[in-house]
Amino acid sequence: MKRFIGDVKKFWNYTVYAIQSDLKAEVAGSFLSWMWWILDPLLYMLVYSFVAVFVFNSREPYFPVFVFIGLNVWQFFSKVVKSGVKLIQGKKSIVTKVYIPKFVFIFDRIGVFGIKMFISFALTAVFMIFYRVPVTWKALWVIPLFLLLFIITYAVTTIITHFGVFVEDLLNVITVVLQLGFYVSGIFYSIESRIMPKSEIIGTILINCNPIALIMTDMRNVLLYNGEPHYIALAVWAVVGIVVSAIGTRIIYKHENSYVKVI
Amino acid sequence: MSNAAISVKDVKIRYRMLNKVSFFRALMSPNKFTKTEYFEAVKGVSFEVPKGQILGIVGKNGSGKSTLLRAIAGIFSPDEGEIDLHGNSISLLSIGVGFQNSLTGRENIYLSGMLLGFSREFIEEKLDEIIEFSELGKFIDRPVKSYSSGMYSKLAFSITAILETDIMLIDEVLSVGDAKFKKKSYAKMKELISNEDRTVLIVSHSSETIKNLCDNVLWIHDGEMKMYGTTEEVLPKYDEFMK
Repeated sequence: MKRFIGDVKKFWNYTVYAIQSDLKAEVAGSFLSWMWWILDPLLYMLVYSFVAVFVFNSREPYFPVFVFIGLNVWQFFSKVVKSGVKLIQGKKSIVTKVYIPKFVFIFDRIGVFGIKMFISFALTAVFMIFYRVPVTWKALWVIPLFLLLFIITYAVTTIITHFGVFVEDLLNVITVVLQLGFYVSGIFYSIESRIMPKSEIIGTILINCNPIALIMTDMRNVLLYNGEPHYIALAVWAVVGIVVSAIGTRIIYKHENSYVKVI
Repeated sequence: MSNAAISVKDVKIRYRMLNKVSFFRALMSPNKFTKTEYFEAVKGVSFEVPKGQILGIVGKNGSGKSTLLRAIAGIFSPDEGEIDLHGNSISLLSIGVGFQNSLTGRENIYLSGMLLGFSREFIEEKLDEIIEFSELGKFIDRPVKSYSSGMYSKLAFSITAILETDIMLIDEVLSVGDAKFKKKSYAKMKELISNEDRTVLIVSHSSETIKNLCDNVLWIHDGEMKMYGTTEEVLPKYDEFMK
């Protein structure tokens, strides 16, 4: 733990600079590529709204905003986790030449995809004004919700990063699992109003056992519907997230010697 | 020895023969996943390098030289034994660490420098010197991917050569660029190495280089120390052995 804090301090400047330059590098590729940070979720929102409304007959108040929030949260989570699989191999040229705590790379990914998420979340605000969503003080709950999202994402990614070094075809497995996660997290339907009436047990399980679904549901609750977040479930997941983060960080520290030798 | 800059004591480094596995094999037989064979690359090496000395490390391919060097640089820690640097800063001279190809040369100087553990202010201070030494001129503000391979290595060399540390580890003496820059970089290298406060470890296969640059030589054979002594003493025997 002490080592973790010390390393965070020591490598903070590098992490920040690396995030900046990763973003810059993306923009340098093509002139308007930052537009894609907004366009990407926006276009997906249109696709899923279309499918959900016309094919599955979904009806939620402020439906496009509803889908947009879900997509933003999910894309952040899945992109960071997916990038974790090949993270160490991808940084081979660094890892074999200087010492660097390996979690710095995860911080970097969270920073890069986090900034993109915040940019497209700004668009959420525009949508909310456009649809005249009544906003209350409860909207402030998004701050702890974002924090929880970062913790959970970090926790999952540490574990994935570790096994990604040794298990060759992990990417295939993760891709399928994430695809499943995409459909059960309720991105373009509401678990509360579509699943709950059919089976309360399944609905409760879907929300409470999947932290991403929980975060998504509560973000919509506090931003759009002036509702209450699931206080207890959130607190439990915060504890779980911190514990798994600590375990994951430990595992990475313990095995970082062998990473250099395997890749 | 009280003025030692590097103390290496009984260092053993093992490579776990951990093969990559597929997901299903890991699930089916977790034993195979955890069962590991060991291969010892460095088998108990101890030596001390006094401050300001230039030590050459020789040995045939696969004898553990580079492994030892990387352990001293702190890239991984030894499985047994101790490496004490007595508080000196250290860097492994290597080309182009952490370059981002679509960023400019200038930005890459920062990126690479910070990765090597220097503060932003320090790099800023040295920035002009690096750019001047690299002879890149206007190209410094162009993306690195537009560089020729010679320009790329010139920049990389300049970064590591100007951002100096107390201890420098060199894996094969770097000679980069065209004939003129080669000469210049060799001269710079010599200047860096011969600074009296600086301790240098050089791994090289060229007896010529070792003879020209080093005070002492450490000969490693199959992970064990075969000889350690002055260059005049060790090098002829090593050359004899290699014939």
